[in-house]
Amino acid sequence: MALKNPFIVFEHDIYALTSTGERELRGGETFLAPADIELLVRTDGGSTVAQVAAGMQSVPAPAVREAYARLARAGLVDLASNLRDDSLDFTDFFSDKPRPAPSEQELARVRAEAASGVSSLQAEGFYVRIARCSSKPWPREDGRTPAAIVVEDDPHLGEFLKTYLAFDGFDVRLVANRDQIIEALREPQLPDLVLLDVMLPDIDGFDVLLKMRQHAALKTVPVIMVTSKATREAVLTGLARGADGYLTKPVEPDTLKKAIRAVLGADAGSTKGCVG
Amino acid sequence: MRAEDFRRHLDALGADYRACLPAKVAAIRSLWRHSMSGVGAPEGLTELKRELHTLAGSARTFGVADVGELARAAESLLDACCERGTPPDAGSVTELARLIDAIQRSVAGA
Repeated sequence: MALKNPFIVFEHDIYALTSTGERELRGGETFLAPADIELLVRTDGGSTVAQVAAGMQSVPAPAVREAYARLARAGLVDLASNLRDDSLDFTDFFSDKPRPAPSEQELARVRAEAASGVSSLQAEGFYVRIARCSSKPWPREDGRTPAAIVVEDDPHLGEFLKTYLAFDGFDVRLVANRDQIIEALREPQLPDLVLLDVMLPDIDGFDVLLKMRQHAALKTVPVIMVTSKATREAVLTGLARGADGYLTKPVEPDTLKKAIRAVLGADAGSTKGCVG
Repeated sequence: MRAEDFRRHLDALGADYRACLPAKVAAIRSLWRHSMSGVGAPEGLTELKRELHTLAGSARTFGVADVGELARAAESLLDACCERGTPPDAGSVTELARLIDAIQRSVAGA
């Protein structure tokens, strides 16, 4: 993929912090002007320049664009598309290369959690791993339309989920196979939510989840597994690979709504027990 | 999208799903015949299991619960065979054939 010039700033561009920018922001000492620091704080890798500028009421939009160009020259920010890991292919899943196994400590923890997860799945139709729930407020403060990816190979069920999420205010992409998943994950705007079917025609949903959790930009994206199998083994696999929640089929609209709100931190009560 | 448009869209989606069910079941029956003829097995059985799995999840979502339950039972039976790593024995074949017939009858009566 060809890199774009980050020094020429357009309103629709999306910037993200470079590792240097993150260090600058977290370091105890900085020589940046307060407005530049605020701009770094507001740069989340998902909001456009126009959206960031709208939130910075004390700084006019042209000055925000100039500041982005200045910060890009200093190596503190870059276009999000330039920073995305383009190596998100799934070739390794079909080779004999062994997958990294979770540690014994991690396994012991998820085994215990899986037991309670299955009980919740069977009783309520969904299970949300609240320890991983989003730390960001919901709805997002930047005002942009949230994006969701629905991975489902049954066209009717996929359309059902897409319709529901669109009704709930999401911009939804419906994908059904490995190539479409990769294409959707490479879009400039990171998804705010992924609903992920387990059994897909050419890839296992748990493998997609694992790959996402190993990816720098995608590892914190909330993922809800949508599955027909509420077995302890399935929940165990998903927890070990970093799922945020589970939803069993048949999918009930009310259950779907509750699970999504809990994972996104939209319910005040759902933040109880969150880590970090 | 307004709430009534949302409901209307879901109703239309459910109707379209039920209209497509005979074709889905025909595909399952074809995979079953293919698997039992020995051509393409065990790949055929894996594909059959996947189709039954998809049908089990979607049918219950769109209110055709009996079809979903039958598909779930057939999938579980195939799951057990796959776990053992052996082709279905005579008893399992008979039961799978019965379940697939029952799915077809249920769809015809839906």
